[in-house]
Amino acid sequence: MNQEEKLPVIDCDVHNGFRSNHDLFPYLDDTWKSQALLRGGGLPLGGGLPYASPIGNKRKDANPPSGLPVGADPDYMIKQLIEPFNVEYAILCSDSMIAVSSFADADYAAAMCRAYNDYLIAEWLPKSPTFKGLLCIATQDPIQAAREIDRIAPHPDIVGVSIIGGSRMPYGQRFFHPIYEACQRNDMPLVIHPGAEGSGIFNPPTAVGYVSNYLEWHSCLPQTYMAHLVSFVCEGVFEKYPDFKVVLSEGGVTWLPPLLWRLDKNFKALRASTPWLKRLPSEYVRDHCFMTTQPIEEPDNPKHLKMMFEMFDAENMLLFSSDYPHWDFDDPTKILKQFPLETKRKILSENARALFKL
Amino acid sequence: MALYPVALEGEIPVGTNIVVEIEGRSIGVYNVNGEYFAIHNYCPHQGAEICKGPVCGTNMESEVYQFIYGRDQEIVRCPWHGWEFDLKTGKSLFSDKVRVRSYPMQIQDGQLFITVGK
Ligand code: FES
Repeated sequence: MNQEEKLPVIDCDVHNGFRSNHDLFPYLDDTWKSQALLRGGGLPLGGGLPYASPIGNKRKDANPPSGLPVGADPDYMIKQLIEPFNVEYAILCSDSMIAVSSFADADYAAAMCRAYNDYLIAEWLPKSPTFKGLLCIATQDPIQAAREIDRIAPHPDIVGVSIIGGSRMPYGQRFFHPIYEACQRNDMPLVIHPGAEGSGIFNPPTAVGYVSNYLEWHSCLPQTYMAHLVSFVCEGVFEKYPDFKVVLSEGGVTWLPPLLWRLDKNFKALRASTPWLKRLPSEYVRDHCFMTTQPIEEPDNPKHLKMMFEMFDAENMLLFSSDYPHWDFDDPTKILKQFPLETKRKILSENARALFKL
Repeated sequence: MALYPVALEGEIPVGTNIVVEIEGRSIGVYNVNGEYFAIHNYCPHQGAEICKGPVCGTNMESEVYQFIYGRDQEIVRCPWHGWEFDLKTGKSLFSDKVRVRSYPMQIQDGQLFITVGK
């Protein structure tokens, strides 16, 4: 093993799966248990995404020998991801859970999140000292969401708050501010992860409506992030909550520099629309936002990726993520080959260590 | 160039494969409708063990809004990111230049051999 392969990894996007669709039942009170049963007898976790990957969304070599579903066996996760890739911490994010924000019923969604958070703490986090968790909130009712952050965030193995990219409105708007206030109060970064854009009560997944298939849907996900990011900055979220940090997970990275050029340019002329901004928009992004690496863009000429990284503060803003056990998993020993050791060290672990206080 | 015996004909039924170790290299041997093909068990993308991927068919090149399924059992799909490779040539279906390494095979008296090296 050379020195590079030994670099420690903090994997900022690992998906813990459910063993069965009854996993949350012990954590739901009777009102919501009966609701969950009525809605299909299990864990109805999304508002029905109208897209499906033709190759499935899981890696085909990740079935645990225990017979449990992919991602649902912590021991196998340790064997297949944690040990071979030198993962110091795996940050667990339930991509199926965050889709609850696409339900119309805010109270149902909030109840499911409470159950999930208790389940995460009881059944996953004690399994390995490498496991750290993102608590999950539903965005329909930001006041309840803030209460849930206050309830769960003090747990020592909870390191952030997760929500989905799909939404009824841009995330910078004041409707959501109680969530950000609670994140700041509890010193928790907000991690936005894609997954159900366009389902349930969410707006369509692109600005022009519903694209036809998963290939288009997945490729257009950065659109959603662009709109949220511009909204966060322009609505003054980072002025109002100066310690608040946002992670844009799994949405690509190379779209960022040109968006910020455009935003900065416009701001110079249109500053009076957002007089509360005291610095250029790009400076807020640099200080408050992070992006996870996977799925990293793969230009034919690898040098072009390096050039893109030079166009923003990539070395300090990127957090490595593998997306295990999903189909677009990135291998930490493969994706950053063209970068110097120090850059790699920061992206693979040091940036996440500082952000999540690990 | 060296010939390595890997199996007897009949030991790899149609539609199945085995994985063997030759000169420290993991190689998959596939029976595609009665013909044998060998590929390196290493995806040219990020190095996944490609032989853990499903053998399948695919939608072939077609006119707009036409779907024609074909080449059943001739494609191996990488278990990680789903790239498709032609088992007969090793070529990926999106570019002739991207390919998984393939090895010529020979059959002598019912014994299957892989040729490794030039
Ligand atoms: S490693 Fe095979 S497609 Fe990515």
